[in-house]
Amino acid sequence: MMRMTRFELKKIFLKPVNKIVFIILAISLCVVSYFAIGDVDYVDENGEKSTGIAAASALQGKKNEWAGYITDDILRKVLEENEHIINSEEYLSTDMIEKEKAYSKKQGFSDIREMINQAFGGFQDYNYYRADSVTQEEIRSFYDRRTDNLIEWLNSEEQESRYSEQEKQFLISQYGKLETPFYYEYADGWAALLEYAPSIIMLAVLITVFLVSGIFSDEIQLKADSIFFSARLGRDKAIAAKIKAGFIVVTSVYWIMILLYSGIVLAVLGIGGAGCSIQNGFANWKSFYNITYLQDYLLTVLGGYLGNLFILFLSMLASAKTHSKALAVTIPFIILFIPSFLNGISVLSEVLGLLPDQLLQVCTAIKTFNLYQVGTKVVGAVPIIFVMYSILFCILLPVLYQVYRKTEIK
Amino acid sequence: MKLVLDNLTKEFGEFVAVDHVNLTMTNGVYGLLGVNGAGKTTLMRMLCTLLKPTGGDIYCNGKDIFQLDGEYRNLLGYLPQDFGFYPEFSVKDYLFYIAAIKGIRPIVARKRAKELIARVGLTKVENKKLKKLSGGMKRRVGIAQAMLNNPQILILDEPTAGLDPNERIRFRNLISELSEERLVLLSTHIVSDIEYIANEILMMKGGAIVNEGTLDEIISTMPEKVWDCIVPQQSVSALTKRYKVSNIKSENQSVNLRIISAEKPCETAICVHPSLEDVFLYYFGEKVGDENDTF
Repeated sequence: MMRMTRFELKKIFLKPVNKIVFIILAISLCVVSYFAIGDVDYVDENGEKSTGIAAASALQGKKNEWAGYITDDILRKVLEENEHIINSEEYLSTDMIEKEKAYSKKQGFSDIREMINQAFGGFQDYNYYRADSVTQEEIRSFYDRRTDNLIEWLNSEEQESRYSEQEKQFLISQYGKLETPFYYEYADGWAALLEYAPSIIMLAVLITVFLVSGIFSDEIQLKADSIFFSARLGRDKAIAAKIKAGFIVVTSVYWIMILLYSGIVLAVLGIGGAGCSIQNGFANWKSFYNITYLQDYLLTVLGGYLGNLFILFLSMLASAKTHSKALAVTIPFIILFIPSFLNGISVLSEVLGLLPDQLLQVCTAIKTFNLYQVGTKVVGAVPIIFVMYSILFCILLPVLYQVYRKTEIK
Repeated sequence: MKLVLDNLTKEFGEFVAVDHVNLTMTNGVYGLLGVNGAGKTTLMRMLCTLLKPTGGDIYCNGKDIFQLDGEYRNLLGYLPQDFGFYPEFSVKDYLFYIAAIKGIRPIVARKRAKELIARVGLTKVENKKLKKLSGGMKRRVGIAQAMLNNPQILILDEPTAGLDPNERIRFRNLISELSEERLVLLSTHIVSDIEYIANEILMMKGGAIVNEGTLDEIISTMPEKVWDCIVPQQSVSALTKRYKVSNIKSENQSVNLRIISAEKPCETAICVHPSLEDVFLYYFGEKVGDENDTF
């Protein structure tokens, strides 16, 4: 079967149009990596902003001065330092450069400051200046405030009917399970990597579909189907070779893109902070998934891989069934863009949370509060989509095989 | 090798493409003759397991071909009417790929491909991409792929369609050479091809086999005679309206007509030996599409 698979791959790679697809993939990789790297900036003592390796390294140095467990003492120190800065001449100045100089002094503890903003700003509200008014007395309740805010939100009028008592208890218990005090260190490399990971994963699926959508329909389009299906292995191993070729293309393109993207971004921005919990900092403070940045990354890339496999094999199934490459190519676009149109409809949020596009953005899905009751157990959307789409993908393979096997040449 | 078609029927909705065909074929060359839409391609596609019959069965040496599945296709070589290929593949690559899906071991495939490339006269272009070959060359690649597994059953659907006269003669001779010791079913609406290479002729109309036999047997079934006559230009119109005319050839001021008729169509008419083309015209009532004919 290896021989047939090699020829199937050759059919894909020899197509002139697919050479353009590879160029687009390379350009996408460069553009997304560029934006991810540009996401981390450093402001020096003169108030000048910079990005790139040197900036990331300087920021890392600043932030790692605060590395360690965020205890009450550290939080108090942050408040003291913050108070000192907000009362400085630079901060009070109306000149933007002076303000930037003041900010440059805050950079080292800006993540901790953001967490204070979130803890004391309410569950749904955000106030950048809230940390400036938190007292030394109040800061002792820092970690408790996170759970208190959640409880307050769950009991609010708007949310009261949204979650069952069991679901509310699940969320509170998840919050309670988060290990405190947080261990903190510079993790901006991971944060930027995850910020743009859904873009690269979605681009991978949208571009790869042009490579794989013809694997099945091209036989019919090229009128090579009669010879293919009248060959001895044309209705069994040759189809399996097509499926294998599809799997190889999807897997190689995805992992090459992801590993190159991760390698480039982490090489520039640094790999520190992999073991920090994702609730450190601004983006994932409210998430009820108690995981580290590294675990978030692994879930994101594995989810992306599963999503790529599922969506692209669904396209191949459409191409095998309808013999239309054009229809097959539209499948990922429909899967990715329809949910964004329906996002505003709150009654659909639970359904939307389980659609395959969520697999392509696990690092975003972990911020949402979609809960599902499986028997007596309450679970978040992320474990469900992993299990559900793994099963669906396994079902998809024999279905694809059988659909193509039964093709008749009319 | 014995292929038996038992009450074979294929319907597409209301339309009956193949209508209760009963036929037994053993080794030899069978020429399937019929006008466009007679059901030839549908019949061949069923024989190649590309279409499932809506009624009846096909047996190969007593076993149902759809149950034999791959085992049956291992005996099969097929050149379809619309021979599709992979444009970016070279001749060699293409044959190696088809050999792979025919389950031929790589060493055997290489040897066989080399032999066939030489036999169909494509050695010089074996590394050329298929999209750069002429129509005749592509057809030769088509016959080479059909022969890769040295098939016991060779099915050729309109193999000479679209070829120029030289290529057609070459191709016809090639098929004759390849037809030894196997069952060859050749479909065409080009009567002369069948006349030259088929041992047995099957005439198909409206999805049914309406006549079968050797060339002489088929000719002998025609109840009317064939007349050759030279008539003035002004009589042609009246004669073509009244009789089936298989050939019209202008010669100076007069016209040479070949007429199928039970009675003598005109005083100057001479009774001649009928050809397969005359029989074709008699049964199907249509002019034959052979470009060697004169109009």
